[in-house]
Amino acid sequence: MQDYKTEHPFDIAMSEEQQMTWDMLRKFAETEMRPIARDAEAAGRPSDELLGKMKDLDLISLGIPEAYGGMEIAQDATSQALALEALAYGDLSLAMSLSLPMLTAKIITEHGSEEQKKELLKQYSDGSMFHVGLGINNSSIMGNASNSTVLVDESGEELILNGIKTGIAFAEEATSFLISATSESGETNLYVLDKDTEGLEITSKEFMGLKGLPLSEINLSNCKIKTSQKLGGHNYSINFQELLDSSRIGMSAMALGVCQAILDYVVPYTNERVAFDEPISNRQSVAFLVADMAIEIEAMRLMVYKAAALKDIGADFHKQASLTHRFAAHHGMKIGTDGVQLLGGHGFTHEHPVELWYRNLRAIGIFEAGAGV
Amino acid sequence: MIHPLLPNQLQKTQETMRMAAEFILRPISRKYDKAEHEPPVEMEQLNQAAAAQKETAMGDDSVKSMDLKGRNLWAVISLEQMCWGDVGLFLARPGTGLGNAAISAVGNPDQKSKWGKRWASMAITEPGAGSDSKNISTTAVLDGDEWVINGEKIYVTDGDRCDCVVVWATLNKAMGKTAIRSFIVEKGTPGFSVARLEKKLGIRASDTATLIFDNCRIPRENLLGGKEEVEMDADAAKKSFGGAMQTFDNTRPMVAGMAIGLGQAALDMTRALLAEEGYEDNFGASMGQQTAIQYELEMLEAELEAARLLVYKSAWMMDNKMPNSKEASMGKAKAGRIGNRISLKCVEICSMQGFSEDHLLEKFSRDSKILDIFEGTQQIQQLIVARQVLNKSSADLK
Repeated sequence: MQDYKTEHPFDIAMSEEQQMTWDMLRKFAETEMRPIARDAEAAGRPSDELLGKMKDLDLISLGIPEAYGGMEIAQDATSQALALEALAYGDLSLAMSLSLPMLTAKIITEHGSEEQKKELLKQYSDGSMFHVGLGINNSSIMGNASNSTVLVDESGEELILNGIKTGIAFAEEATSFLISATSESGETNLYVLDKDTEGLEITSKEFMGLKGLPLSEINLSNCKIKTSQKLGGHNYSINFQELLDSSRIGMSAMALGVCQAILDYVVPYTNERVAFDEPISNRQSVAFLVADMAIEIEAMRLMVYKAAALKDIGADFHKQASLTHRFAAHHGMKIGTDGVQLLGGHGFTHEHPVELWYRNLRAIGIFEAGAGV
Repeated sequence: MIHPLLPNQLQKTQETMRMAAEFILRPISRKYDKAEHEPPVEMEQLNQAAAAQKETAMGDDSVKSMDLKGRNLWAVISLEQMCWGDVGLFLARPGTGLGNAAISAVGNPDQKSKWGKRWASMAITEPGAGSDSKNISTTAVLDGDEWVINGEKIYVTDGDRCDCVVVWATLNKAMGKTAIRSFIVEKGTPGFSVARLEKKLGIRASDTATLIFDNCRIPRENLLGGKEEVEMDADAAKKSFGGAMQTFDNTRPMVAGMAIGLGQAALDMTRALLAEEGYEDNFGASMGQQTAIQYELEMLEAELEAARLLVYKSAWMMDNKMPNSKEASMGKAKAGRIGNRISLKCVEICSMQGFSEDHLLEKFSRDSKILDIFEGTQQIQQLIVARQVLNKSSADLK
């Protein structure tokens, strides 16, 4: 029935350390991120002031080895999921402007060759956030996420990449890109491409949500790179499905943070908003929507915890990550739409954040590798 | 430490109970679905298996240390597996009913030793009062050293086969919920009769009785918890009914666990039938790469897993002495509706085979409906959760 083994009893309580980090990040999300979410949307990017404060949280350099200037403090998946949830409580776009470099640095740390780590990780330690753009999202509809719409020809002395990637954050700031590409044998790996590689073209794109984050499309036409530019070296094979699964736990944790923000917003609103001479939350039709929100959020939280905990004990977590991601996408959007519904016409306007949360939650289940554990 | 995973010892419990369900319950599942009202004699076997498992589990030192704290989670997991076998038969197993939970929760030592080992059912619902149990009309009047009970109770699970019944009655209907008490009435007491057994949509192996109390006289000491008089002090009165309702915080995770077991059974059987036609799961694939069945089953599996974790959490809270009223209702609401949705969807997915009595899928889909009704309907659970989340009284949020 279970395909994992553990001696540790069933438990859902945060450790003291997790609680401390949680409190700190939740406060940061509420005071530093939430109030400027609309400004970031208007500007299409986070303010430099916020980026500075986010850097100071030291979350990026936490897992980077000391040899490359990092702190080398191993983070378990559950602690990372908690951190992501806490950050997304502030704003999803702004949280992703931190979770993306965190994930990118983590991928390079885990899979990069010595040379690649030396070149790319050191810059994070020096305070850079966006020098590597992560290109995982496909633009095709019918394809499988574990395959890339960029194809790589590995037959010659040079590698040749062709295809389109989309939803790449901070592409203008990047000096290189980490792009997923599928070879003829069907294997998907990551490749490091310099920004000035011939045939690489960046086009800025707008999406319905995540507007506080500059997003682009990258078109690769006959881009030639050296075999050593494959992440991990030319003989390396990344477990791409596992990378995807880890980031799906991360995106689910982010969805959870947004959903919690919605619940915490609609409870006081429906308690205060009066119609027909009493608070609208005195009516079951309203109250039951709120109850269901609370139920599914609690369920989503436990799904995220379990998927992360499975990863932490080294068990196979593909199925749990898939279920969690599916659950977060489905119920996240349901909570997003109910959040707007509960505010009625007011919810449809920019006077309240629920329409922003609605648009951002549509990214869950679609946007791959925006955060990871 | 966040670790919502089952330790090896509980996994062992799970395996043992699954085997019992598979080899004792499943073979007689259809028989007693057809032979409604016939007591399932084979059920003694299951009781023996459960007792043996409990002894091994509790005798194991590694379990002992944790399991004094882990009894409720253990119980939820055991009964989830038994209900993977058959919910109706599980409810019909001789020896324990909901009345036993009440006796062990609020009974005094004398009552526990006298009635603890007897099979006790629970009689709350009346023709005119279901979810609003504070509105019951059955009366209890103290006359000398005896209580005189009068009234009609319906939908009493195990009501015919049990040894005794825990009956809810009012000392004074005008006083509302503060006057409600529960009493132990033994089978065979003059004035107490079983009027009839219901014919039902599902859980047909389990007897559901209508009980009549006509000047039924019981000993004074059979009052279960609470005072003999109605408390005038509002706080004390509130506590006394609240105490009775608290039993539900303990039993809801159990009933929710039953729905999880049933939902898993339906998914497992659906996959087995589909496998004969070459089906394979495709978890985590994009929509364009999944068939409608793969997509449906992944979603249902996700919903079931989510419900399961809510239920485990509510049991874990009980084990750790945390108030779990909200979480118990969350788990019951989610598990009740998901167990029902899964079992109906599985019939649909398996098409005419699902609809056919050749397989048990159609039976699961009939059995599951009651799990979203008894021990508090879906809507009552939503009401409880909503009041807590919105911080409302029952006067504000009716």
